[in-house]
Amino acid sequence: MTDLALARRLLQLRRDGLRVCLATVVEAAGSTPRDVGAKMLLCGDGATFGTIGGGCGEAVVRSAALRMLASGQGPGLVAVDLTQGPGERDGDVCGGRMRIFVDPG
Amino acid sequence: MAQPHDRGPDFLERFVALLEGDDVFCVATVIRSDKPGMPAGSKAIFLRGGGVEEFGFGDPARTLRSQADRALDEGRPRIIALPEGVEVFLEVQRPPARLLICGAGHIALPLSRYAADAGFRVTVLDDRPEYASAARFPDADVVAEDFIPALHALAPRLFRHIVVITRGHAHDLDCLGEVLHWTTDYVGQIGSRRRLAFIKEELARRGFPADALRHRLYGPIGLDIGAESPEEIALAIAAELVCVRRLGAAHAFSLRGRSRAEAP
Repeated sequence: MTDLALARRLLQLRRDGLRVCLATVVEAAGSTPRDVGAKMLLCGDGATFGTIGGGCGEAVVRSAALRMLASGQGPGLVAVDLTQGPGERDGDVCGGRMRIFVDPG
Repeated sequence: MAQPHDRGPDFLERFVALLEGDDVFCVATVIRSDKPGMPAGSKAIFLRGGGVEEFGFGDPARTLRSQADRALDEGRPRIIALPEGVEVFLEVQRPPARLLICGAGHIALPLSRYAADAGFRVTVLDDRPEYASAARFPDADVVAEDFIPALHALAPRLFRHIVVITRGHAHDLDCLGEVLHWTTDYVGQIGSRRRLAFIKEELARRGFPADALRHRLYGPIGLDIGAESPEEIALAIAAELVCVRRLGAAHAFSLRGRSRAEAP
């Protein structure tokens, strides 16, 4: 999904009165599924658009976004560590670390 | 110079409007802050040539000018640390590559979708309004005019990727005769090797010798994945476009193999 398509969708969702978080990868070190600048929308009802790489990293961001939307708390950074071993349950093993800025708008 | 406090309507609306345009710009976002009055989420937009538009960012936007210019020059994102625990994320937005599809037939339909999904901004041109219609191409800008006048009216600098898939070799040659004068990253021509040989002979007669086209004209068009159906051919073309955009012409031609790339 291009940034333009994502931004148009975000604008539409907000005009419709929905609360939506925009998550942006602002730092990526080591081997990560998406580069800096990758973006994703996370809605209060659980719907998402775009991807910051899927898997565990995305799950961490999703719960942070839902927490923000539920509590009315302001934007902030979420750190994701993808350096767990391949044997660990549900671990992401890409080998890198990311920082993701989550903005409820 | 900076244009202070041009808040405009709303950051998101302004962001969409800029992305729909053809200019490079840099967005600064405060991602962490202990500074009163400058919360995380504050934004500023830096335009080339000195323009700044701030959205809750305030005067500090000006102090970022040189870093924003550097980001604009390098095209790479960066994080800047400022006093009072402020971190700013700088991200450069470039306009998407534009793709011009000459010919609105069977292949153009899936190709316009695939290319739009892959991030190209697509324009479809055909002289038949019943084919070149917005209803058929919801993901593209559509031009329903005769090929040569329409190509004269387009801004060539915007289109560096051109696919020529009209309904016949006369129209193909008309289109190639125009777009080969442009500065391009990709000109692809549909057709069998036999038809391509004929087209290249004709182009040589029109002042484009085979040597000059060797690393410019992708014909037969598309990566060789054995495509047969219109959808498969569109996929082969879209894959070649992505390859040219991401890895450059040298790599894209290397995938075609010497015999195909250098066929007369």
